[in-house]
Amino acid sequence: MMILVTGGSKCGKSRYAESLFRNRTEQKIYLAAMQPFGEEAHTAIRRHRIMRAEKGFLTVEQYTDIGRADFPDGSAVLLECMGNLLANEMFRGDKIIDCADKIISDIQQLYQRTSLLVIVTNQVGSDGITYGDGTAAYISALGRINQKIALAADKVIECIYGIPVTVKG
Amino acid sequence: MILITGGAYQGKTAYAQAHVPFAITDGACCDFEEAKSSKILKNYHVLVRRAADAGMDAEAFTEKLCQENPDCIILIDEIGSGIIPMEKPERIWRETVGRCGCIIAAHADSVIRLVCGIPTAIKGALL
Repeated sequence: MMILVTGGSKCGKSRYAESLFRNRTEQKIYLAAMQPFGEEAHTAIRRHRIMRAEKGFLTVEQYTDIGRADFPDGSAVLLECMGNLLANEMFRGDKIIDCADKIISDIQQLYQRTSLLVIVTNQVGSDGITYGDGTAAYISALGRINQKIALAADKVIECIYGIPVTVKG
Repeated sequence: MILITGGAYQGKTAYAQAHVPFAITDGACCDFEEAKSSKILKNYHVLVRRAADAGMDAEAFTEKLCQENPDCIILIDEIGSGIIPMEKPERIWRETVGRCGCIIAAHADSVIRLVCGIPTAIKGALL
């Protein structure tokens, strides 16, 4: 089962995504793609790790090459979030890398090792602003990735002010 | 008339193409008169900006388009969900796109919104 959870900033995606794991009995993995920059981020991450441990999640950090994340086969996995993963893959070198297809193939590899894969992503293309090349390429790549995951997913949910709206499934 | 909307890169063009076999006119570069006879017109939010830049009344143009080309399928990005722009022309453009979208939606038999490539009919039926 693959579920894609999308929405704008601070719309309750994470809380909703975590709620999908409430009744799971297998190992629960929180796959974190955000790279901590600075002490504030480290403090926030420590706090979140403890909060999730209380909910039965083991946190695994994997910033790129998500298919290679280390966790037991058959785990229920919450990947957060596609926006961070894409930025890490896209801006890892000197040049911007068009990595949409690579990420899709990594996700397929990851999905095969899970009993449940919930992916949290972002809606970033609705402000009408014309950005510079790097940001425009990022918005385009995230849109394409979201479409491909949505096609493969059993369910797609858009969160709006904390309310989950079923888009698919 | 059908309006297809959603944020940038949500699969609006691919959705229209998959269901309707007509050539697509690009509002980002087409002639204004051409828009009035096109079967599928994409990037309407850009056409609105071009109309304003050309000194035209975009809302009046949109009304006219709806009357003269009532079977058109129009694709428009949802652009109003960010911060209100600091620059006045950007603010006016954003508001005008919103108003033009409302004009087309009011005329349309169907309004379809795409999220992650998945269409939802928010008025009428899907294609």
